[in-house]
Amino acid sequence: MLPRFAVHAMGTRFEVVVDDGDLVRARAAAEGALERIEECDARLSAFRSDALIARANREAFARPVKLDPETFELLEACQRLRDDTRGAFDVSVGGFLRAHGFHPPLAPIAGAPSSGFQLDRTARTVRFASAGTRLDLGGIGKGHALHLAADALREAGVEKALLHGGTSSVLALGAWRVAVGACVLELRDAALSVSSTSGRARAGRGHLIDPRDGRALPTGTTCAVVARSPRLAEAWSTALCVLDARGELDGAIEAALVAVGATARRASVDDPDSARVFGAFPELFTSAHAALTLP
Amino acid sequence: MTPHDRREFLALGAAGFAAAFLEPDPALLFPRMSAETPLDVAVIGAGRQGRAILGELATIEGARVVAVCDVDEARRGAAEKRASGAKAYASHAELLSKEASVAAVVVATPTHLHRAIVLDALAAGKHVFCEAPLAHTLEDLAALSAAARSAKTVVAAGFQGRANPIYLLARSFHKAGALRELATLHAQNHKKTSWRTPGSSPEREKELNWHLDPTLSLGLEGEFGAHQLDVFHWFTGRHPVFVRGSGALRLHKDGRAMPDTVRVETTFEDGLAATWSGTLANSLRGRREILAGEMAAFDLAWTHGWMFKEADAPTAGWEVYANRQPFHTEQGITLIADATKLAAQGKLQEGVGLPFTSLYYSLADFVKAASSGGKPACSFSDGARSTAVAILAHAAVATGKEQAIDPKLLEAL
Repeated sequence: MLPRFAVHAMGTRFEVVVDDGDLVRARAAAEGALERIEECDARLSAFRSDALIARANREAFARPVKLDPETFELLEACQRLRDDTRGAFDVSVGGFLRAHGFHPPLAPIAGAPSSGFQLDRTARTVRFASAGTRLDLGGIGKGHALHLAADALREAGVEKALLHGGTSSVLALGAWRVAVGACVLELRDAALSVSSTSGRARAGRGHLIDPRDGRALPTGTTCAVVARSPRLAEAWSTALCVLDARGELDGAIEAALVAVGATARRASVDDPDSARVFGAFPELFTSAHAALTLP
Repeated sequence: MTPHDRREFLALGAAGFAAAFLEPDPALLFPRMSAETPLDVAVIGAGRQGRAILGELATIEGARVVAVCDVDEARRGAAEKRASGAKAYASHAELLSKEASVAAVVVATPTHLHRAIVLDALAAGKHVFCEAPLAHTLEDLAALSAAARSAKTVVAAGFQGRANPIYLLARSFHKAGALRELATLHAQNHKKTSWRTPGSSPEREKELNWHLDPTLSLGLEGEFGAHQLDVFHWFTGRHPVFVRGSGALRLHKDGRAMPDTVRVETTFEDGLAATWSGTLANSLRGRREILAGEMAAFDLAWTHGWMFKEADAPTAGWEVYANRQPFHTEQGITLIADATKLAAQGKLQEGVGLPFTSLYYSLADFVKAASSGGKPACSFSDGARSTAVAILAHAAVATGKEQAIDPKLLEAL
């Protein structure tokens, strides 16, 4: 049994499994990775008043808020993702979610739920144009944390490890077998993220909304994305749920996925190795969580 | 509490006390500094704490990190990335000689390396923020204190409690008599971790794990306990006269000599005792300090704080606004700064924790002091006294023998 190490952060449980013969080294390396996740939590968590994002949410309408380079780069990536996904992924809907809860009506709501945010690269600041804007990095934060944690493992000389945040975002260093529903994938130095409109569902509505009009998405869509970058996998799995539910999965979206390093070819069950993106296959992916297959 | 403090408390009355509780200086909670002339800062040491420091300094408007230094190439690279635009150095001497624009230096290296770096930075005329504990031997501490005393620049000790608004608020309550006579002081730092850092070679691993070497590190009691015992010294305005300690290896039996579970007891002249426990085997209740008095107790947990009142404690008018949190059979009044404003806006829950990290307040305080020529929240001499107690606590744990704390030794620092 491989040693497993864990920490509670970002409202979920992160776990690191290190495949290293030396238990003392494995523990130290895993703790270094978990420490990066805790640092990430301290900056990005929606559950902490002293998080940097909480500070931005409080002050960025009144004045520009200075960010550290790492958080600034993450918000730049969020802006690019918003453009690439036609607005299906948008971290500036936090204010809307706070006002309407996680289960808004299926019908459109008056007023745009997303108001965007401005970044000033020279001053390294973020600013909101609307008083109600709140950033919610729930759709990318876990992937970002896994990315930083993997860096820590590599720095420690670890070549084979599996990391996950709440089992819905997974990152493999080396080769690992991961099951999503009935499908077993081999991840090799790649990330997997699974999103579902059926998560935390109530009365036929899931917890995901379409950021463009605030409508809750009907249940029944589960999307899994495999990509090199865990944060791209996480953001795109959410966006694909939105785009699929709204009937917008098309060639342009596939091209956007190619541009970020994911292959936009739809996969067959028999050919998991060639698969990079799985979209809209509820019959394949019945669970929003990956089952980790460990030796 | 001194008679003067008690008179001050009684004179304040309920209305005055409410004002003190509910409306602390907003400048304290949300420090603002001029972005027009930022202070050029160098950070020396880019390990765990250095990384955290760089993250905080990057968000402080009055500071600009222009140089970073670490002997480790990987850490140096990561620090350079975290402080974009900063120059990276492998030697602090080279940094000090080449970066003339640097006005302030933050020292976050292993404790046993503080002496040479702080002395060189002070000799170069820099403002210095030195992470706590300040030194690992009394000899180093005396040398550093002498240099800090004669320095014309700001020399701050990184005992974070002293700049933390929740702790400042709690201390003002204590000074106003909210606890009355203190009965017990207890602090703990419990976190399940090996406290090890992996290295690329056995030699590098030994260097990175200096804190597990009893000859270089002050152990759990010094590296963590010093910060918490300092809270007690600051709140009470005095220092203990004896310290006892013991330690054991309960979980991490991996060849280390340093105990992973430690207990320390310091005793003040009047018999008041402060206990501290640290363990790397269990995480329950994390890091906190509890000051229990005749009328109430504080439970302070760095980003959060609560007051638990005795049933016979007088009720103050402000309590109608207070946010309460249940803890098993007790109910804690949350120590919230700016509570009146938050209550009026229906946002009391949002203000339950600090809006910035404890480290942020400590660094922002230093940047402000260095920029304006003011005094830092924790002077070097205050920090040196708490470090001296930690050095003796470490000796008590290592030898199993009670150590006397000579008041003259502390006065000289």
